[in-house]
Amino acid sequence: MDFTLSDEQLAIQQVSRDFAENVIKPRAFAMDASGEFPLDIIQQMGALGLLGLPIPEQYGGAGADFLAYCVALEEIARGDASVAITMEAHTSLGATPFLLFGTDEQKKTYLEPLASGQKLWAFGLTEPQAGSDSGGTQTHAELADGEWVINGSKMFITNAGTSMTAGVTVTAVTGVKSNGRKEITNLIVPTGAEGYVIGPPLKKMGWKASDTRPLSFDNCKVPQENVLGSVGGGFKQFMQTLDAGRVAIAALCVGLAQACLDESLKYSHERSQFGKPLHDFQLIQAKLADMATEIELSRLMYYKAAWLHMQGRDFTKEASMAKLFASETSKRAADQAVQIHGGYGFMDDYPVSRYFRNVKVNEIGEGTSEVQRILIAKQLLQSLR
Amino acid sequence: MKIVVCMKETPSTEVKKELGTDMRLVRNPQDAIINPFDEYTIEEGLRLQEKHGGEVVILTMSPAQTTDNIRKAMAMGADRAVVVADPSLAGSDALATGRVLAAALQKIGFDIVLFGQGTADSNGGVVPSITAEYLQLPLLSLATKLTIDGETAVIERSAEVGYVKVEAKLPLVVSVSKSINQPRYPSMKGIMSAKKKPLETLTLADLGLAANQAGSAAAHDKVLAAESVSTQRKREIFVGNDGAAQRIFDFLSDNKII
Ligand SMILES: Cc1cc2nc3c(=O)[nH]c(=O)nc-3n(C[C@H](O)[C@H](O)[C@H](O)COP(=O)(O)OP(=O)(O)OC[C@H]3O[C@@H](n4cnc5c(N)ncnc54)[C@H](O)[C@@H]3O)c2cc1C
Ligand SMILES: Cc1cc2nc3c(=O)[nH]c(=O)nc-3n(C[C@H](O)[C@H](O)[C@H](O)COP(=O)(O)OP(=O)(O)OC[C@H]3O[C@@H](n4cnc5c(N)ncnc54)[C@H](O)[C@@H]3O)c2cc1C
Repeated sequence: MDFTLSDEQLAIQQVSRDFAENVIKPRAFAMDASGEFPLDIIQQMGALGLLGLPIPEQYGGAGADFLAYCVALEEIARGDASVAITMEAHTSLGATPFLLFGTDEQKKTYLEPLASGQKLWAFGLTEPQAGSDSGGTQTHAELADGEWVINGSKMFITNAGTSMTAGVTVTAVTGVKSNGRKEITNLIVPTGAEGYVIGPPLKKMGWKASDTRPLSFDNCKVPQENVLGSVGGGFKQFMQTLDAGRVAIAALCVGLAQACLDESLKYSHERSQFGKPLHDFQLIQAKLADMATEIELSRLMYYKAAWLHMQGRDFTKEASMAKLFASETSKRAADQAVQIHGGYGFMDDYPVSRYFRNVKVNEIGEGTSEVQRILIAKQLLQSLR
Repeated sequence: MKIVVCMKETPSTEVKKELGTDMRLVRNPQDAIINPFDEYTIEEGLRLQEKHGGEVVILTMSPAQTTDNIRKAMAMGADRAVVVADPSLAGSDALATGRVLAAALQKIGFDIVLFGQGTADSNGGVVPSITAEYLQLPLLSLATKLTIDGETAVIERSAEVGYVKVEAKLPLVVSVSKSINQPRYPSMKGIMSAKKKPLETLTLADLGLAANQAGSAAAHDKVLAAESVSTQRKREIFVGNDGAAQRIFDFLSDNKII
């Protein structure tokens, strides 16, 4: 077993770390306070190739492997959560489905500007009435005169409304299958399509500078060829998309947890009580040790899930496990980081108070912790049948 | 335009520097970074190429135990690299370094050679002028701005008041100052393609130089001693507001700060 990252992975990690430290982190406080989408930072990341890491060069990407992308995401998340989720939603949910399921034509039209970082793309699965229960999707589309006519609404969609967003992939019911189940199809809806209404940005507890919107489709029309992959292939496509997305989210969580540890180490060194720095107290040392141990474990879990994925092996269970454990690790790390900071940790001026607000959603987005446990148990129980 | 960028590897600014008994820096290949001043040198080379086309070649005289830093320069965008590596280079002084670089430059060929203003380790700041002398070419030193128009290069250099403007004909040698640009990050595509770019290694013999023309054998300079500077902060906390301004004033004047 070899845990050494390749020269390329290491170089990508280093540049991402430097960029996060020098460009992103100094802006994190202000981004959180204003909630303004950091267009200039995202554009710089696009130019550096950070928005198309795992996409092959022939489609405008950097041609790095999936682990390199995750490792970069961890570093970016260490700098700021909003920037990291923008990168993740764009890469894993926006761009990758075009690579996996798109036609050559679609790859040329849509994937290239996404992978080269000129445009962002969103993925719209969640609906007001269908969250964990994605089978409950109500948005529907019918073919009429060579066009899809889409009606319905979506909720909490990341990256849908920025000034560099080119469009959204929308999950819609397009009919009924022979087994009586809903036929689900992914449709490509460019920003500006007739009847596609992008709602105002939602006000959030954390991830404030990321773009999260409700969407509505009111007789929205797109050409018949705007089907991603095949009609009826939608359910399988988003399950596959979410599997890899969960590994990336795990990496993002590790970055956030690492930032909590970084700040805790620094503060426990600077702050003295009872004539000693905080880190001389064993109760504080235990917190630091637990944090570091869980972070290490979470990192190994996402490395392994990414490795399985790169080997072309089944990684559904490991992806869920990594996402579940890393998201809960980040929550515990932020909780303990605030604790180590005492009253100062409760103040907006200290980054850990922002970290505390940013980690909660890790247990909700791309499948809640409950859903991850359901998925893991399902895999376990399969072996009994 | 053929642009050659001279780049040195130096120990990371974050590790403690140590001299061995031979008065040479103890160099750990893992801790080597691109001489921070040379990030500006590389950036300027890439900007010249963006404007005038041609190729950017990295030239380094180095123990070459690792190629990480050379790959990093290529990830930033340089097209290829030439490393002069030879056991007899160890202990070279500035004169020998200039002699070797000049021989390598003649072999590579160039329209313009770029140097940095100094280094994070020995910081002699004389290698550019020595190299130019060996090449018998003009040196425009410490450029804060560099423009090339046809066969003429013009630089600006900061002066005590304002700046001076100097020009010379190509081919020539230019050393750039830190304020000339803001170095870029290596791009992801750059990183992925860096390993595919050519890296050529030359020995002294390849350059037609004898072993005693470089390294400690040829050194005129001898480092006798070196000491690290330690800084200690003086801290005094004044409690209460009574006569605060006077107390601060007294403190500053007692310490000869004002
Ligand atoms: C900031 C943010 C960004 C997002 N970005 C996107 C995006 O880009 N694209 C997208 O499609 N979606 C996105 N989402 C939506 C996200 O994926 C959903 O919020 C998530 O899947 C949960 O759905 P829900 O909010 O409707 O909760 P619900 O499904 O209503 O769940 C409520 C609670 O019930 C629990 N629960 C539900 N079913 C069960 C069950 N069977 N057993 C036990 N417990 C259960 C859940 O775990 C949860 O605790 C985003 C959400 C947020 C907050
Ligand atoms: C503590 C110490 C003190 C020393 N003092 C002396 C001394 O007084 N006199 C002396 O002659 N030598 C001295 N040396 C040896 C010194 O390391 C060499 O002379 C060295 O090659 C010159 O480098 P510099 O760092 O001074 O270069 P500088 O002249 O400061 O470098 C300017 C530019 O030259 C280029 N350059 C420099 N070195 C290389 C290289 N190897 N490959 C490619 N480009 C390069 C870079 O573009 C760099 O930005 C000393 C060494 C040590 C460790």
